[in-house]
Amino acid sequence: MTSLLEVKQVSKSFRGLRAVANVSFEVEENAIAALIGPNGAGKTTLFNLIAGALAADSGEICFADRRVDGLRPEQVCAAGVGRTFQIVKPFAGLTVLDNVIIGALLRAPNVAEARRHADAVLQRLGLAAKRDAPASALTLPDRKRLEVARALATRPKLLLLDEVMAGLRPTECDEMVDFLRDLNQREGITILLIEHVMRAVMALAQKVIVLHHGEAIARGTPEQVVRDRAVIESYLGEGGVS
Amino acid sequence: MNARATGALIALFAGLLLLPAFASSYVLSLATLILLFAYTGQAWNILMGFAGQLSLGHALYLGVGGYAAAALYFHYGIGPWLGLWLAIFLCALIAAFIGFLAFRYRISGVYFALLTIAFAEFTRIGFDHFSWVGGSGGLFLKVTQRESLDLLNLRGPPAMFYYGALMLAGAALVLCSWLLKSRPGFYWQAIREDEEAARALGIDVFKWKMLAMILSAALTSVAGVFIALYYNNLFPEQIFHIGRSIEIILGPIIGGLGTLFGPVIGAALLTLLAEIATELMTALGWQFAGLKQLVYGVILLFVIIFLPHGVWSPLARKLGIDNVSRRDAGAQSLDSK
Repeated sequence: MTSLLEVKQVSKSFRGLRAVANVSFEVEENAIAALIGPNGAGKTTLFNLIAGALAADSGEICFADRRVDGLRPEQVCAAGVGRTFQIVKPFAGLTVLDNVIIGALLRAPNVAEARRHADAVLQRLGLAAKRDAPASALTLPDRKRLEVARALATRPKLLLLDEVMAGLRPTECDEMVDFLRDLNQREGITILLIEHVMRAVMALAQKVIVLHHGEAIARGTPEQVVRDRAVIESYLGEGGVS
Repeated sequence: MNARATGALIALFAGLLLLPAFASSYVLSLATLILLFAYTGQAWNILMGFAGQLSLGHALYLGVGGYAAAALYFHYGIGPWLGLWLAIFLCALIAAFIGFLAFRYRISGVYFALLTIAFAEFTRIGFDHFSWVGGSGGLFLKVTQRESLDLLNLRGPPAMFYYGALMLAGAALVLCSWLLKSRPGFYWQAIREDEEAARALGIDVFKWKMLAMILSAALTSVAGVFIALYYNNLFPEQIFHIGRSIEIILGPIIGGLGTLFGPVIGAALLTLLAEIATELMTALGWQFAGLKQLVYGVILLFVIIFLPHGVWSPLARKLGIDNVSRRDAGAQSLDSK
């Protein structure tokens, strides 16, 4: 398996605070990987570095054998990386459908084509019934789905999902897990997710990277990671995974 | 847009086409003014209503456009059809420069508005001392026989200017309607709603903001040429005045930001109410300076308090014209910023 995303020795500081420190990892093509760790561990900062929203202080990020660090967010997206925001950023004044059309326009030659694609994406995420509602009227779980729908509409090779399960009920969470697994298996979309919901991580990820104080303190299969001493002490606690 | 709305629009357009046949010169001049404001409102709305960038200095493009065409005509006898292109070119260039400064260095919101005011103001002061075009004394075009129609130089009776304004307003409406339904409209609205999310979806925010800025300025410059030819005089203190910029933006704000018909309704409402108030006061024997501004203020206050998303959206709902929910919602989100 070749790796689609390579993060090499990446660091980022904010006014002296090391948010991400020398982190390296790879995500193989067609894989699902998860970034976990306590709040403030640097997970979202790492996402922002990959997506081009922030510039790394040092290190390299390669996507599909091409350097992407130093690219602007729109260029990273055009290269094939779709992302969601932890604090959702819907285009609140526009309809759900228009939100997704805007994502689809990246690869669609015209609006009609983008609309068809957006409709199909909404169908798959169970948002079809709400397509004409303004995005501001959606509940939080629906807004999370909309984030995924919009990112997916850009036809990414790699999907960066920042806590899309947060706030979902267990059944909704399972639906999202099934959806993401299906997406991964049927369309070969590689997924890197930040997640606190361990049951989703255990169900989905083949590989887990644990961040703590900006450093990658463990990596491996979900089963290996949850038994790791350092991970239990810093993040999961003695109760382990429910 | 549904069939009902299309029908109403066609009927309105037909009525406007026939207006000069029976309207008095007073009504015709009023109608010309409304159409002109509808046009400039539409142009400004592209930048603010669609792309979410607040310009308070659009008088700059009126002035530069007007002066460019008028000066060519005055000094070299070069007609407005060529002058128009110079006006568009100059204003596009100026807008590109201001836009580059603002968008390259991430100046947005209030600071962007201040930047646009600054450019308009120092251009005004510059023209006050620009003796080639008359300085503060103004630039005057020869008032020729108004009854003869000279389409080549756009000299003619009021009806010619009326039809000119009608064409401009109609073309701007069609253009904006197309823009909203096409890629630029979607991208601009995305930028208006959330720039970071727009970038994450692959939208080159800088490029699209520049386009909105240049298009808006270029369209506004055409209105400047129109004003120069219509009134036959230009004074820096009038054409570049911040009051002009405010006049341009009141229509779309009152009509409904980001909506297609807001600028049209707003222009009609403002012009008519200001005129009615003036007539009423004259009849009562009270006349004082600044009455028009007072009326504008009262209307603005009323709209902000009772119809915060503009007049158009609630009106459209009452009339049963669909496809406004999105625009309406757009106005709401602007409101919340």
